[in-house]
Amino acid sequence: MSNYNLERLNFLIVDDNKHMRALVKSILHALGVKNCVEATDGADAFKELRHYPADVIICDWSMSPLDGMDFVRLVRTGKDSPNPFVPIIMLTGHTEMNRVMEARDAGVHEFLAKPISAKSLYARVRSIIERPRPFIRAGMYFGPDRRRRENPNYKGKERRKENLESGGAEGGGAGELSQDEVSALLNG
Amino acid sequence: MSEENGQEDAQVRVITPPHALASKVRAGGPGAVDPAALERAEQVITNMADDYLNWVQEDLRLIQEAMDELKSSGGDNQVAISRIFAVSHDIKGQGGSFGYDLMTIVGNDLCRLIEYSDNPDASMLDVIQVHIDTMKLIIKNEMKGDGGPEGTRLLKGLEMVASKVKPS
Repeated sequence: MSNYNLERLNFLIVDDNKHMRALVKSILHALGVKNCVEATDGADAFKELRHYPADVIICDWSMSPLDGMDFVRLVRTGKDSPNPFVPIIMLTGHTEMNRVMEARDAGVHEFLAKPISAKSLYARVRSIIERPRPFIRAGMYFGPDRRRRENPNYKGKERRKENLESGGAEGGGAGELSQDEVSALLNG
Repeated sequence: MSEENGQEDAQVRVITPPHALASKVRAGGPGAVDPAALERAEQVITNMADDYLNWVQEDLRLIQEAMDELKSSGGDNQVAISRIFAVSHDIKGQGGSFGYDLMTIVGNDLCRLIEYSDNPDASMLDVIQVHIDTMKLIIKNEMKGDGGPEGTRLLKGLEMVASKVKPS
């Protein structure tokens, strides 16, 4: 079953561009969402989180003073974070592989490439509903399990163990990826 | 409450957070997002295309303003370059949602062109201006989708112009 009623979910939309916020909000309302709160940057969003119980955060990358990546880290690992487990969808035009990896390593659940559509946004929300992931604390990393599929025959790199030592994000090429390529990359 | 247990080794913790969404989301029934609801949501975006044509004018004004400053400084103005990149990035991220795929393509091309360009020379400034002029033309003529033969001609022209200034 992939048809979900979203009306009881609380969304927090974080984007410094008012037109993007309006677009995302309009799509969510058309999908039946009743509660959307907007924030203009990461600091504003963190303030909102203190009194607004967001179930899903949709967050832009490039914002100031606190950008999307710093906001994700603050939510995940900040000592005063109201909800370190809240699902976060990173919404951005930065779709180079190293950017996707950086977002994943900061602890985002899903990556949504701009320009967006109703279908692409709903697909990311659906993914969060259908595939709840355990959280991993390993070295510098705290966030949703980056291994989305169990593979008993896995013989590749042991990233969690490497993370304990380095804590750094993996590198990658600078080429732009399509939403399908991003999804394939994140889904292993 | 979440459940924390060491499932791998002492330093890697696997934590099962409460799945708050499961208790708030109902599958199926009235109000569920079915294909018809998705189509309606797409239609809402389509209906915003007129609004987009208004607000993109402001983006085009801002990018030209930054471009004028960059030109007047002979290309040596990092703040202006950053502003051009930021506006172009917004244009790239929005155009396609409203059917203006060419704005997304040209916006992306301009971002790629200037992201490593710290101090553009006169030729590079010309090429940046051509990209901005192309975006203005796309909006003026309301060229949606791929823009047909005219769109193809525009993109080919831009590619040719950009190839003259891109480092080999």
